[in-house]
Amino acid sequence: MKLPGRSAPPVLAAVRPPAGAGDAAVAIYHVSKSYAAGSFALRDVSLQLRKGEFVFLTGPSGAGKSTLLRLLFADERPSEGQIVVLGRNIARLGPRAVPRLRRRIGVVFQDFKLLPRRTVEENVAVALEVVGTPRREVRARVFAMLKQVGLQHRRYQLPLSLSGGEQQRVAIARALVNEPEILLADEPTGNLDPDLTVEIMDLVASAATRGTTVVVATHELALVARYGKRTVRLEGGRIVEDGAPGVRVR
Amino acid sequence: MTGSLATRAACLGRSALRGLVASPVTTTVAVVTIGVSLVLVGAFALLAWNMEELLRGVGDELRVTAYLEEGVSPERQRELATTAATVEGVAEVRIVSKEEALERFRQGVGRGGAFLEGLDENPLPASLEIVLEPASRSAEGMRVAVGSLAGLPGIDDVVSGQEWVEGYLRAIALVRGVGIGLGVILALAALLIVANTIRLAVLARRDELEILALVGASRTFVATPFLLEGAAQGAVGGLLALAVLAALFRLVLPEVQFGLELVLGGIEPRFFAAGEAAGLVAAGSGLGLAGSLAALAGRWRR
Repeated sequence: MKLPGRSAPPVLAAVRPPAGAGDAAVAIYHVSKSYAAGSFALRDVSLQLRKGEFVFLTGPSGAGKSTLLRLLFADERPSEGQIVVLGRNIARLGPRAVPRLRRRIGVVFQDFKLLPRRTVEENVAVALEVVGTPRREVRARVFAMLKQVGLQHRRYQLPLSLSGGEQQRVAIARALVNEPEILLADEPTGNLDPDLTVEIMDLVASAATRGTTVVVATHELALVARYGKRTVRLEGGRIVEDGAPGVRVR
Repeated sequence: MTGSLATRAACLGRSALRGLVASPVTTTVAVVTIGVSLVLVGAFALLAWNMEELLRGVGDELRVTAYLEEGVSPERQRELATTAATVEGVAEVRIVSKEEALERFRQGVGRGGAFLEGLDENPLPASLEIVLEPASRSAEGMRVAVGSLAGLPGIDDVVSGQEWVEGYLRAIALVRGVGIGLGVILALAALLIVANTIRLAVLARRDELEILALVGASRTFVATPFLLEGAAQGAVGGLLALAVLAALFRLVLPEVQFGLELVLGGIEPRFFAAGEAAGLVAAGSGLGLAGSLAALAGRWRR
């Protein structure tokens, strides 16, 4: 599909998009990523994620899950192949286009990545401030978002005074406050107790019900089984399963 | 999403302020370095400007005097005066007779002029007193006048303040040169220190920058607080320099008044006008901004 005002990247013309690529939030074509000659973090990965889809990326440590997520929010460029995220070709994205794309993507990490000297409210507000949202609107939207994750009463506290689960909820609030089209979560429950894991995953999953494409990288198979969503399993940088849990690719 | 300029400006301003407060020692070092540089540059600028002021002041009194040979007839004196009046840059020529010269000398030496009573004849020569047009009251203007008159029949010698003016201009050029030289060296030092201060600030806040990049902050949004920090450090350094110079001007100047009079003559030394003071602060701000830009240049290229 040709978007208004955007021409299809010429390099993609040679790659035939699979059927149904028109409503894809993410389209990955034969992507490889290597950091050193002969050593691949990802090898010949092709994948399509539909708008509003909830997908688990699983696999052992070093399988390439985090690398794939970093490629999706343009923190890295593919060594080979093409990645189209929300209609933008990551391999050809200019420096000015990267921030614009990231404003449409929320990212959550295992280590929360919160600003320790800013309050909970300020941490969430930063995602709105970078796009120049008026101050009054920022306060209202941050309050609503914090209420959604159950932390409105903690808004004036510093992150380090919160529990791990609460800190991750702040990070999720920051990722979702801009109403992103894609939410990427890299081991979002890796540092949390089992009880908090479910609580956090429910928050992440709720984003998908509002039309956000959600990609969660995790190695916790119990979690994957609990939600029964599409699962893409990586091993050694290759996709070895794609479908409901347990379905092998070839 | 519509972006509000005021919101962004307030947000960037807060971020810059947080940065300044977060690292008081490095900020102070940068401010003081810029301040010291500007004090020295400002002091030399003040000295050079005041010396130029003196030159403008004495310009009105600069004369070329052509001494006439003994026995030149009044007709020849008038002819020479007419010739002198045609020289480029000459505004007025006046004939000073031997008698008038003696009378002036008497008035000049006051009671010490008693020794003149013992002389049989007036030893002072008649002369042509030549006033130059304002535009020609310079070493070059005087050189032209002297060159045109020297050697004419009936003229014994031509003297002017040419050498004094040339020497004084050389002194001004020296003061200005030393000021600029020192200024450039110190400005470079200040620039490097500001650049390092900002580099340290960037390092100290790399986690914050990573998060800003993650949520889609543009390079401008990330860099602007650091540029504001550098500019603010420079402006405060400029204000500091202005305060130090004003204090020196008020407190120290009276103590060195005698020595200063030798250089500046009798003129009243002047301090910076409002526009010049603002220029000094702006120069400090520009220096800080340049330091920040130098520190961020590497990040921008990436």
